[in-house]
Amino acid sequence: MKRVFLLLPFLLVLAGCKPKADEVKIGVSAPLTGDISALGQSTRNAITLVQEECAAGIPLGGKQVKVRFLVEDDENKPEATATVFQKLISQDRVVAIIGSQSSKCSNAGAPIAEAARIPQVTPWSTNPNVTRGRKFIFRACFIDPFQGRVVAQFAIGKLKARTAAVVYDVASDYNKGIAEVFRDEFTRLGGKLVGYETYNTKDTDFSAQLTKIKGANPEVLFLPNYFNEVPLQAQQARKLGLTATLLGGDGWDNPELVKLGGAVMDGAYFSNHYSPDADSPVAKEFIAKYTARFKAVPDAAAALTYDSARLVLRAIGAAGKADPRAIRDALAATSGFQGVTGAISFAGSGDPVKGAVIIRIEKGRFVFDSAVNP
Amino acid sequence: MGVLVQQLLNVAQLGAVYALIALGYSMVYGIIRLINFAHGDIFMLGGFLGLLIGVHLAWLPVYVMMPLAMVLTALAGVLVERVAYRRLRDANRMSVVITTLGVGIFLENLVRLAVGPETRQIRSGLPTGSVTWLQGHLGVYVTWDKVLIILVSLTLMAVLWLIVNRTLVGTAMRAVADAKDVVPLMGVNLNLIIAGTFAIGSALAAAGGIFYGQAYALDPYMGIDLGWKAFIAAVIGGIGSIEGAVLGSFLLAGVEVTTVAYLSSNLKNGIAFGLLILLLLVWPWGIMGKPAMRKV
Repeated sequence: MKRVFLLLPFLLVLAGCKPKADEVKIGVSAPLTGDISALGQSTRNAITLVQEECAAGIPLGGKQVKVRFLVEDDENKPEATATVFQKLISQDRVVAIIGSQSSKCSNAGAPIAEAARIPQVTPWSTNPNVTRGRKFIFRACFIDPFQGRVVAQFAIGKLKARTAAVVYDVASDYNKGIAEVFRDEFTRLGGKLVGYETYNTKDTDFSAQLTKIKGANPEVLFLPNYFNEVPLQAQQARKLGLTATLLGGDGWDNPELVKLGGAVMDGAYFSNHYSPDADSPVAKEFIAKYTARFKAVPDAAAALTYDSARLVLRAIGAAGKADPRAIRDALAATSGFQGVTGAISFAGSGDPVKGAVIIRIEKGRFVFDSAVNP
Repeated sequence: MGVLVQQLLNVAQLGAVYALIALGYSMVYGIIRLINFAHGDIFMLGGFLGLLIGVHLAWLPVYVMMPLAMVLTALAGVLVERVAYRRLRDANRMSVVITTLGVGIFLENLVRLAVGPETRQIRSGLPTGSVTWLQGHLGVYVTWDKVLIILVSLTLMAVLWLIVNRTLVGTAMRAVADAKDVVPLMGVNLNLIIAGTFAIGSALAAAGGIFYGQAYALDPYMGIDLGWKAFIAAVIGGIGSIEGAVLGSFLLAGVEVTTVAYLSSNLKNGIAFGLLILLLLVWPWGIMGKPAMRKV
């Protein structure tokens, strides 16, 4: 009896060896519920747009083949993401996976996709470890070290700042990574770091750290943290008389930032993947379509998900067959792909070489300030 | 000089919030030897009731909103005691502790379900801006809400001290604390006194929650961390003692701020919790507490 159970997985693999030739399935792992469910919704919206665009199917091996996106909920939890990846690969037999959004979830899914040799493209995970040392994992966004450098260069070059201070969440890879790169780059460019303070996830009182920084009175204050904490840090800084210009990273990109912070966030800058008033033809078309269909301005996660899905579709077309390994090779060969978030090329790794934009906050709106290319 | 004074004000503000929570732990423990782990969540509930009344029913100004939210939270505290704790008053300690934890998780999820997981703030029309005189002379930024938080908290604590030490109800409370089983024989309604204790503790926690939502932010899970901290403060000060809870709270806030200001914020929680362990090892009854008497 036991032997039968041991054999079961192999039997299932054999049973699955004959996929239906007239349909290509692509998995999507998204945080549809949980703490960043707003982001899951924009993921689903972007996928819906792509699904509608290829409703007639794509040409493959001389005939039209239907494409189906299977969107699964990973709750923004690593353990749930692992389950979703396993289901998509072994049960649904997808040829590629898009997702997940947060770095911690992509980090949980990537080993599974890599082991099964199924290509994965994550839209929004900026942590360098997600793709490191892996052949089947790609991403549509830039990585954190680049982002940290961009903000430091902006502070020195555009804002002419000589002194800076940083307050970051020491318990999170994303925040810690950007803070360190910013510190090194800002000092390398001749600036002086006058404060480098930490806190822990879920802290709400930052006044002791900010008071310490107030003593040094920096020109810019870098807060590479998430949108739900930054407004509190900004308010407390202002209440202590800190007048520094506030800077941040792509973790700021959510309407909650200005809803909670209000006027305190005005005049702050952050680096992002794209701006909703980007003016390339691809971006304009996407923004117009998205806004008309969902009555909402697409955030960076939506734009990156759209790009990821189109990258995968293009790779399937270039491979000429719905075979995961061939799709992987086609993805790796991607060069000069025109996405909503800019041109994407994979030069030997799963990390694209692409630019960032700096966004300025003006009267509660995100306004394009400048573009930075690597 | 300016930075030092500013840090002292940070200590005062944080300590005032801790004290308002710690008093509830301390009073309830003092009277029925129950550590109410749901108390941090009562504090959270008070903050959200303040938000509901002061923001969503925006016509109520803060001096109406705050007492109203305190009364509602007091009722919630009494309800929790009546529904979940009263039957277990003579049960074994494990059941009671687990019940208080369960009530806490229930309240967190109830509030999250009602308002969602987003961070909120109370902007209830308290005066904004800072006291310009201090700013001009010391370079210290003292916002009016900070002044109000510290003053109102200290006033509430003084009122509590008067109730406990100078009124008949207070005498009854102290009597219950001394000899729970004998007091009913003297014609005192034990249930009423215990309910009253829960009501006062919850009302103070609500004030703390509203101040916290004003100075920092509200979220449905904030009661966990802050509840632990206030509990530590109560134990440091000597659980069961009102003066001890207040002293312990300001002491803990002082340790936290000093750690961040002169060592590293990485060490903040480690030092706070380490302090508790150290204290329990060498001085188990806390600074103002009394060593437990044992009958031989």
